[in-house]
Amino acid sequence: MAEDIRSLTAALARDPSSLVYAELAEALRRRGQRDEALRIALHGLARHPQHVHGHDVLARIHADLGDLDRARLAWSKVLELWPGHPGALKGVAFVRFRQGDVVAAAAALEQVLALDPTDAAARRALETVRRGAGAVGAPAALPVAPAPAEAQPALEAGEAGAQERPAVFSGFDRATADILLLDERGLVLAGGLAGADGADVSELAAAGLAGVSGEAKRTGEYLSLGAWRTLVAEAETANLVVAPAGEGALLLVRRDRSMPVGLALRFAERARGTASAWLEGQGA
Amino acid sequence: MSDELGRALDRISRVRGMRGSMWVSAEDGIPVAQLLMEGVSGKAVAALAASLVRKISGTAGAVGAGRVRFVQMEAAGGTLLAALAPPDLLVVALADSRVNIGLARIEMMRAAAAVAP
Repeated sequence: MAEDIRSLTAALARDPSSLVYAELAEALRRRGQRDEALRIALHGLARHPQHVHGHDVLARIHADLGDLDRARLAWSKVLELWPGHPGALKGVAFVRFRQGDVVAAAAALEQVLALDPTDAAARRALETVRRGAGAVGAPAALPVAPAPAEAQPALEAGEAGAQERPAVFSGFDRATADILLLDERGLVLAGGLAGADGADVSELAAAGLAGVSGEAKRTGEYLSLGAWRTLVAEAETANLVVAPAGEGALLLVRRDRSMPVGLALRFAERARGTASAWLEGQGA
Repeated sequence: MSDELGRALDRISRVRGMRGSMWVSAEDGIPVAQLLMEGVSGKAVAALAASLVRKISGTAGAVGAGRVRFVQMEAAGGTLLAALAPPDLLVVALADSRVNIGLARIEMMRAAAAVAP
């Protein structure tokens, strides 16, 4: 990766008008150097405003930075230049999903499948969106949605996603099936959540939890309750405990209904301690 | 306020540490009946509680936990509680940190069950 970036940087230096800027920006994005990636992409697009790939890369960078509105604008530009661009349609679906517009997310994914019925990733994402939308039979604004394949590989990885994340909760019961740690942007950091069918639903949960955290914060402030510590939801088949776990990070623990809420809270408290220690070790 | 709803709020408000309780329309977060201490904004409590319940219900559905029945948010300066009273009501309570959550929960779930069709 570092070698790629060096050679791409050299190529761009030799010919600043080259389209190689998009490859360089994408390589930087994948390496986590998002600000530098953004700078390169914007610079390149200033020279090549009709470059489809450049706008696609720009959208991914914005999505990584959590700027969903700009990401959607960039993907819309791609679709303006190349109607039916599958990557952009998936990107729009991702953004709409994250913004809670399940109907629009599903519509974008259906367009992908109309163009290519063999796109298994889009089909899985569409199933995920529909599952999330139907789960509570609630009004449309569910804050859940699929991530585009390339921007959010964990969603596509399914169960493998949980296995590939840092083993922060090893030693805890169902460490990769019932405990989830995410950052302030709703991206999964560690742990995992399995759905009833065993499929990984971590991304779904993470997308929804970002909204829950904001709502809890707002509630605490407006009602003069101060900073929120825990949020417990007793549901039909499981109890959920949500708690802040450090600067912007959030922990979700799901326990079977047979476990009393008090015990679920103690379990969550231990998991929070472990998560906080791990985050501190990461410099968070 | 109907007698039945009012009596339920009265029982909930007798729990130590309680600052108020209310019935709220689950869908739009509008107060239906309330018994609150002075200085507590019923409209704010209703709107925020309904929104919080809606959000956590979405997450619970997405992770296969099923329909949410009771929600409690503990904060540094108090606790917000909500019990779902299907099909369209919430029993919401605001309490300080001394509240016995278990006792409050029993009263709130009892109230929710009493209005169920």
